[in-house]
This record gives sequence, C-alpha cells and structure tokens, in this order.
Amino acid sequence: MTKSRAERPDVHRPSEILNTLKQLGFGAVVSVPDGWLGEMLVRIEQEPTMRLVRATHEEEALAISCGIRLGGVRAALLVQNAGVLSMGAGMVSLAQRYQFPLLMLVSYRGTPEDPVFYHVPKGRVTEPVFRGIGLSHTCVDRHRPIGPQVEQAATYAEEASCPFALLLSREDVQW
Amino acid sequence: MVKAARPTRADYYRALADSLPPQALVVTSLGNASYLWAVLHHAPENFYFEDAMGLALPLALGLAIAQPKRPVIVVEGDGALLMHMGALVTVGAVNPANLTVLLIQNGVHAASGGQALTNAGLDLAQLAVHRELRAPTTSQSRKRSPPSYAPAQRATAPNVSCSRPSRISTLSGLRPCSNRCRPSTAS
Repeated sequence: MTKSRAERPDVHRPSEILNTLKQLGFGAVVSVPDGWLGEMLVRIEQEPTMRLVRATHEEEALAISCGIRLGGVRAALLVQNAGVLSMGAGMVSLAQRYQFPLLMLVSYRGTPEDPVFYHVPKGRVTEPVFRGIGLSHTCVDRHRPIGPQVEQAATYAEEASCPFALLLSREDVQW
Repeated sequence: MVKAARPTRADYYRALADSLPPQALVVTSLGNASYLWAVLHHAPENFYFEDAMGLALPLALGLAIAQPKRPVIVVEGDGALLMHMGALVTVGAVNPANLTVLLIQNGVHAASGGQALTNAGLDLAQLAVHRELRAPTTSQSRKRSPPSYAPAQRATAPNVSCSRPSRISTLSGLRPCSNRCRPSTAS
C-alpha cells in the first residue's frame, strides 16, 4: 500500500519545505537571512517558479510580502525569530490591521537545542512576544513530516486572514 | 495650473491625478498623504496607509513585483522614508520598471504636528541616486516662482507609461499644511 505524503518519513526536511511551497503555488519568498537560512535562499533563487526578494530589514520584508500578496501573488516570509521581534509595529499596524494572510517561516534560535549565548535572549522571549502581539504561531513537530505542517500553517493564514508563524529548528531549514 | 509661489501638496496631487496613467495603482503614506489623495482621487484600488510609518515604499515594491504590467506609484513622506532607508536599497536592487516613488519632502513630520526631521537638509534625491534609483527633483525652495509640478511630472510620466528603471521624484520646499486634512488626535 502506498503511503500518503503525510505518512512518509522526511528524507530531507529543507527540501520538503521548498517542495511544499512550490506545490502550494507560492510565487515569492521575501527574506532576511540568518546562518541556518542561507543555503535555502540560494535554492529558492534557482527555482524558476519562485522569486526571492532579499530585504534589508525584517519589517521591510513584511511590508514587501504584504504588497506582493496585495498584487495577488502568494508570498512567504523567511526570517529569524529576532527579525520577528523587530517587526512588531508593522505586524500589528499593517499585516494584522489589513488582514494579510502571510506564511512566516521562522528559524527559532536560542532554544535549549540552540544554546548560543547571544541567541538565548531571543529564544527566551520569542513565544511570549508572539502571544503579546497576537501573532498566531506554532512550533514544528520534529517527529512529523515537515511538508504537511507547512501546508497547515499556510492554510491557517488563509482561513484566518492573518500572518501565521511556523517556528523551525535547525534540521528543518539548514540545507 | 499652480498659482501659489510655493505649491501645496494638493497642487501636486491635482497634477498627479491629471496625469495618472491608465491602470495605475497608487499607494499613499500615512496622514495627509492618504487623507488628501482619498479626497482628490479616490479609487477602489488605492491603498491608503493609516499608520505603519515607513512601510508604504516596501509595500509598493511588493505590489510592483506582483503586478509588473501595471504602473505603481507610491507617495511617501520624507519622515517616513527616513524610518526605512534600507527600502531604497531594496528598490534599487529589484529595480522594477513600473514603480515610481513620489517623495513629499517638507522637512517635517506633518501628520504629528510639524516637528522637524532629524536632518531636514538631507539630500534625499542624491541618496536615492546612490541606491541606484534615478532621481529627478523639483525644488521649489530654490525656485519659488510657479509653475511647479512640470519637472516632476515630466520625470514621472514617462516612467509610468513605459519600461524604465524605477525612479524617485522629490517634491521639496512644499508649503506646510496649516491643518491636517482630517481632524485627528492621533499622531
């Protein structure tokens, strides 16, 4: 019996994220990189059906994503959690105010699995801040295939008409 | 025809409305930029910022990327631009042929009561050039006699009607608005 995609173990989780974005019709990714995301961005840049926009700041990236979506193209944000911490005003005054459905793929730095001294302060406050600004989010379940989790996050954003952040670990995004 | 020695934002807006290309999409920054454009040239596809200062330009960039066949014009204030100068770099890197930036350079935060900018004398047009945007300027502070909009109009119109690199037109020396276009206690 053939297993569904959701039941298959992931061979390579970053590839599965990229494949899922393509299958869901995402035409653009807007990003400010971090150490985990660099190679993923190179791969996105090589995709003929997707456009990568490299922004200078995460709040700027958020606004670019909103504009792309306003123009009818599905856009995903690919940023570090520190970047989401720095985009609070744009998140509430633009993305949430105007109900933009945005998929946010966020590298989750500073967790107990990423105990780097300068990331830890960010990891400690990430989820409380997300809750504080009303940003819907969830952490990836590493024991489940990543593709369906990306799809569910994207569906949530569409159905709820709001940004949704999927917090990713190193093995999810580092190529 | 602009009559005042120093044209107002409304003068420029009327000229913009008169020369707006078909199918143009207009994004306006918060405050007076949005209130006045809504009064003078409301259209269902206009995108008015109510807040989110500094994000009109990057949103317009995204819109221009998603709608490459339609002219996109963003009216941004100098104070708002200063908040996200990096967006100029991204616009220069993407270089969309269909994006025009109309920069209201009045040297103050008009929407919040007219407080002076951190550096009102900054040559934003020159900064834009360094970020690889073309930057024709209309400076009424140096040339007080009318007419006023024509140079910027010449700079803008060709860009929005044919394929050229993205441009920024700075409209400097505007006569400051004495009152907000819509009463508001927020700033």
